[in-house]
Amino acid sequence: MLSRVANSLYWMSRYMERCDGILRLLRVNYAYSQDEFDQFSWRPVLMIFSDMLPLTIEKTKYKGRKVLEFMVTNKLNKNSVFSLVNKSRENARSVQDNVTKELWQCLNDYYHVTRDKDLVTALKLDDPVSVLDDLVKQGMYYYGVCEITMARGEGYYFMNIGKYLERAMQSVDILNVKFSELDYSLEERSDPTYWKYLLLSISGYEIFLKSYRSALDSRNILHQIVWNEHFPRSIIYSVKRLKQSFETLKTDRNSEAYKALSFMIGKLESHIRYSDLKDLEEKGLKEYLHEIKQELLAIGSAFNHYYFAFN
Amino acid sequence: MGSSKIFNGYTSSTEFYDEMYNGKKIRAPYQKLYEFLKNYPAEELNKKEEMARRLFMSQGVTFTVYSGDEGIEKIFPFDVVPRIITAAEWNYIESGIKQRLKALNLFLNDIYSNQFIIKDKIIPIDMIYSCEHYLREMHNLKVPHDIFVHISGIDIIRDADGTFYVLEDNLRTPSGVSYMLENREITKRIFPDLLPQNSVRPVTNYPQLLYKSLAALSPRHNSNPNIVMLTPGIYNSAYFEHSTLARLMGIELVEGRDLVVDNHRVFMKTTEGLQRVDVIYRRVDDEYLDPLVFNSGSMLGVAGLMSAYRRGHVAIVNAPGNGVADDKAIYIYVPDMIKYYLNEEPILKNVPTFKMDDISERKHVFENIENMVIKKTNASGGYGMIIGNAATEIEIEEYKKQVLQDPRSFIAQPIISLSAAPCYINGKLQPRRIDLRPFAIFGPSGIEIVPGGLTRVALKEGSLVVNSSQGGGSKDTWVLNS
Repeated sequence: MLSRVANSLYWMSRYMERCDGILRLLRVNYAYSQDEFDQFSWRPVLMIFSDMLPLTIEKTKYKGRKVLEFMVTNKLNKNSVFSLVNKSRENARSVQDNVTKELWQCLNDYYHVTRDKDLVTALKLDDPVSVLDDLVKQGMYYYGVCEITMARGEGYYFMNIGKYLERAMQSVDILNVKFSELDYSLEERSDPTYWKYLLLSISGYEIFLKSYRSALDSRNILHQIVWNEHFPRSIIYSVKRLKQSFETLKTDRNSEAYKALSFMIGKLESHIRYSDLKDLEEKGLKEYLHEIKQELLAIGSAFNHYYFAFN
Repeated sequence: MGSSKIFNGYTSSTEFYDEMYNGKKIRAPYQKLYEFLKNYPAEELNKKEEMARRLFMSQGVTFTVYSGDEGIEKIFPFDVVPRIITAAEWNYIESGIKQRLKALNLFLNDIYSNQFIIKDKIIPIDMIYSCEHYLREMHNLKVPHDIFVHISGIDIIRDADGTFYVLEDNLRTPSGVSYMLENREITKRIFPDLLPQNSVRPVTNYPQLLYKSLAALSPRHNSNPNIVMLTPGIYNSAYFEHSTLARLMGIELVEGRDLVVDNHRVFMKTTEGLQRVDVIYRRVDDEYLDPLVFNSGSMLGVAGLMSAYRRGHVAIVNAPGNGVADDKAIYIYVPDMIKYYLNEEPILKNVPTFKMDDISERKHVFENIENMVIKKTNASGGYGMIIGNAATEIEIEEYKKQVLQDPRSFIAQPIISLSAAPCYINGKLQPRRIDLRPFAIFGPSGIEIVPGGLTRVALKEGSLVVNSSQGGGSKDTWVLNS
């Protein structure tokens, strides 16, 4: 496969995964904001997913509709749904012959949906939840079409690598921002709704109730998002899937690249698997999350270097 | 045609050839279509039109117009009423195009080697050397199988009496074939069962024919040659076509930056290292192909490509330098080429064309300017031309000045009253002017033309300009089996 094509598929997939993460987060946070009798702060959302300056975040954090506009339809925000879908589609467009017609049409439809003028008005004046729901559904449609139509070849696996790398990074970022609000302390007793909405925003509430049963305790939350192998948004699950997809790329022709990346991914997996809450408390949560994030970023650069470097 | 709603008020004229209606009755090949459409409610046809628009939009069959940093996606307007060509008409067009292509290909072989046609004084030498698309770099370069014009789109028009003429020969990187394929797919969706009822010949095997002829050019004789399609990239207005063809043939779509030349061989950069490339179907203009030989600022091409080509390590389709054969001034000599190289009478006629660097011909054109079209020899897309009866006096005077400055770069032709076909516009069928571009494939085993092509239509009333950049649209083109 052309390096440029692999690169485009990888980014197409990363942007769609990010888009999905953002939409779910927005949807749940909006619902949360309706429950709050005090002023609801959008600070964490803006911290995770935007490059807004801290000062602007302070100014914007209580203006829910404004945040929604900024994160969904704003053309200047590089991480708005509008921009992400556009970038994802541009990537697909440049490799149109390497994705199925169905997948291209699905992204193309999504693109036209994000450009619909009614979307802006609906987000401003109507019920934002139904708007966000519709967008989430477009994303689900994309995932379905990928699964059902894409041939299980290199292209599909590069898409998966992009998807799971992005997802692992998102989960780390979400933990980072949510715990930073509590100064990374696991002892801090906080409002259970705080954790409930965190879980809801990453579709992890139901699985949490089934797995842990107990009250919404910050240690259990951490366990679910880092180590729970049954939770599809946990860091360990994402890394495991990343590894599986990567292993299919093994060929005789490119063993140097394979070895280098295989080492990095294996090391990251072990790093997560063979650490527990106790290690983490000794080291400090902040430091631990920082290390994981650095390793994920290094894996991203290594893909760039070994597989996508075509210039 | 009073009883039918959508045909109500359909008026033809003797000024042009109406493909469907001869002034008294419906022509036989259109009879079935007429019966089908006659009682078709306008609301239903509006729905079909909207459905076609949506299908094009959702499939991304669009070209992008850039304003500022935001691209606007536009669809090439599609008219739902097909254009019909009978089997006899098609046989005539097909044999005419084949003959013409044979001669043009021999001309290119000759002009880049012995130049007998100049020595025998059929074409004046200055006509060749003053053509900006003539490439000295192609001299004495042995092209694979002596084929220059692998892919061509020859534009055919019909005059008021129904006679077919060749309007121009597009031998460089003609586009539009994807619209031929998509238009047919849309017709299948909006008018189910209508195609088989009319025994329309299929066009769907174009990609397979093209693949076969590209594979036959591979310099390495292996069973699975590496064929790539070279595109300028997603910002090119024909990008949709490039990716569609690559997908339909199952070949890799590459950009210049994906390729590299090493030891006079072309490779593509893949996730598994470099892979040898055998055949390049390029949609990049000659000028940008190789920065070492042509435009040194080109980012679209591949450094060293021409040296690999010259040594026969890679096949390039179409061959560089074809522009000398489809130049609008060289066009005048095509009938002579057919006689000279093939010793045959031309089957398809040329439109009478005047050379503006010939003093007496120029005088004739200027005196009869209201009946003339003057065109730039190197422009396309309906640009750089003036239509005598549609321009103001000031425009004409301005244009004349340009012509006098560089007469070699202009030619003139009498205004041809293009034939018209019914189009569905504002709830009514109305006649609009059309042309036809069939797509020919010239491979080592001969010339093949899929029965059909792209019918372009001037959607503005009275307009003779069919180019998409000038408000043109297209139609599905049916060649009947009998």
